[in-house]
Amino acid sequence: MRRSILAGTVLVTGLLVLLDLMIVNPSLDDAAGAVNELLVLLAAGAAVGGGATLVAHHARALAAGDGDSTGSTVLLVGMAAILLAGLRPGSTGSSDPVVLWLVAALLAPIAASVFALLFIFLLGALRRGFTLRVRETSLMAGAAAVVIVLLLPVGGAAGDWLAAGAGWVRDVPLAGVFRGLLIGIGILVAVSAARSLMALDRDDE
Amino acid sequence: MTNNVGPTLLTGERAARLRRAVPTLLLLLGLVVASLLSGGIDGLRLASPDRSRVDQLRAAIRDLPDGALVLIACDADLGTYPEIRATTRAAIDDLAARGARLAIVSFTPEGRAIAAAERARIARAGTEDPPADLGFVAGAEAGLVRSIASLVPEDAEGATFDAIREGGGGIGAFDMVLIVSGSDISARSWVEQVGSRLPDLSMVAIAPTFLDPELEPYLRSGQLTALLSTLREGVAYAQAVAAGSTSSRGPTPGPLPMLVGMLIALAVLAEGAFRRLVRRGRRSPGPSPS
Repeated sequence: MRRSILAGTVLVTGLLVLLDLMIVNPSLDDAAGAVNELLVLLAAGAAVGGGATLVAHHARALAAGDGDSTGSTVLLVGMAAILLAGLRPGSTGSSDPVVLWLVAALLAPIAASVFALLFIFLLGALRRGFTLRVRETSLMAGAAAVVIVLLLPVGGAAGDWLAAGAGWVRDVPLAGVFRGLLIGIGILVAVSAARSLMALDRDDE
Repeated sequence: MTNNVGPTLLTGERAARLRRAVPTLLLLLGLVVASLLSGGIDGLRLASPDRSRVDQLRAAIRDLPDGALVLIACDADLGTYPEIRATTRAAIDDLAARGARLAIVSFTPEGRAIAAAERARIARAGTEDPPADLGFVAGAEAGLVRSIASLVPEDAEGATFDAIREGGGGIGAFDMVLIVSGSDISARSWVEQVGSRLPDLSMVAIAPTFLDPELEPYLRSGQLTALLSTLREGVAYAQAVAAGSTSSRGPTPGPLPMLVGMLIALAVLAEGAFRRLVRRGRRSPGPSPS
């Protein structure tokens, strides 16, 4: 019973959205819009639920003295600071100067710094990789070295030649592999969507 | 006895830890020095020598009608935004110089934070009006689809908002969308969700390099009018815009720190491979006596 309700819901909503894409009809458009509104509500609910679960998890961990108490404290204080800045009476939400300061002076530099550390950690991981998985690491390091050389920011004719090489690597092998992956993913998504629309699952095989 | 050993061990440990940190500290020092020395070094060039992508975006902006409505969809990530920051600012300046009426919207919380910070920066600079703020639209791709019909907040007031309302109130009211891409909502989402419903809408994108292989096919198929998706193309574009403008658009990365970082990376890769070769040479048995 539960399965048929779920399959029916998926079938109706999926067909509605598909028909709305293909046929210009105001009533159909309104119905598809209503489904879309429900999706927006669902996404907002999931985001709030996810945040609440995160708070509950870390509050519980702090109370029990489990895990990384410093990390949990920083996370909870950070969430409280942003929520307070954005929701206090008189605040203009995400455009409030306090929120803007928290983002521009703290959040953005911290996120960028963490991302920049990837450079150091990646090099460290490659060095360790040479001692653990030689063949795979050598292949990866070789490809990385070729790309780095092609991207060297030098000028003149040599720079033009290197840039043309980098463009070829991007446009031919890399784009080819990626396009293959995307086509594969597209086919899989289409097949699984069709299976959902036809209410097929593993039991039917 | 114990009292003497404890501090010695501790100092030894600390010294070993410091020794391990020395290469990283030297690397950071090298990059900082390179950043400070970066201004105008002969023989180095970060901007892409291939200007076709730059010309595509500039032509798309040049072809806009007078007073065109342009939507900036800012959904960049905090982590990768520094890579495209200078390009995004140059594009906003380019559009403003063309006389476009700009509005900004975000479909991700991170994008909203960046958009609000950019609006505040433009307002502080005072050289141009900040884009009209359409705020944050919840629901990710579902929110994007909803925005095709309705995008303007009910209480929003101003000439740009009125112009959008006159055009239908949704994304279709705009002459062009500049998509500042991140990992959650990128130009791909726009092509899939908006492009299929508004096929005549011109969409141009700025994206960090990691998104390039994903977005490249959309440029070739014409679903994106223009795309800047590498740092070198972004620098070339920022330089092209700066050549015709006197306003500042924030720091553009210099070639020297990039070169230093790349040479260090190559050195580390070569050292790792060499060490491995030496170890293998030691391990392999010598020729057996006949």
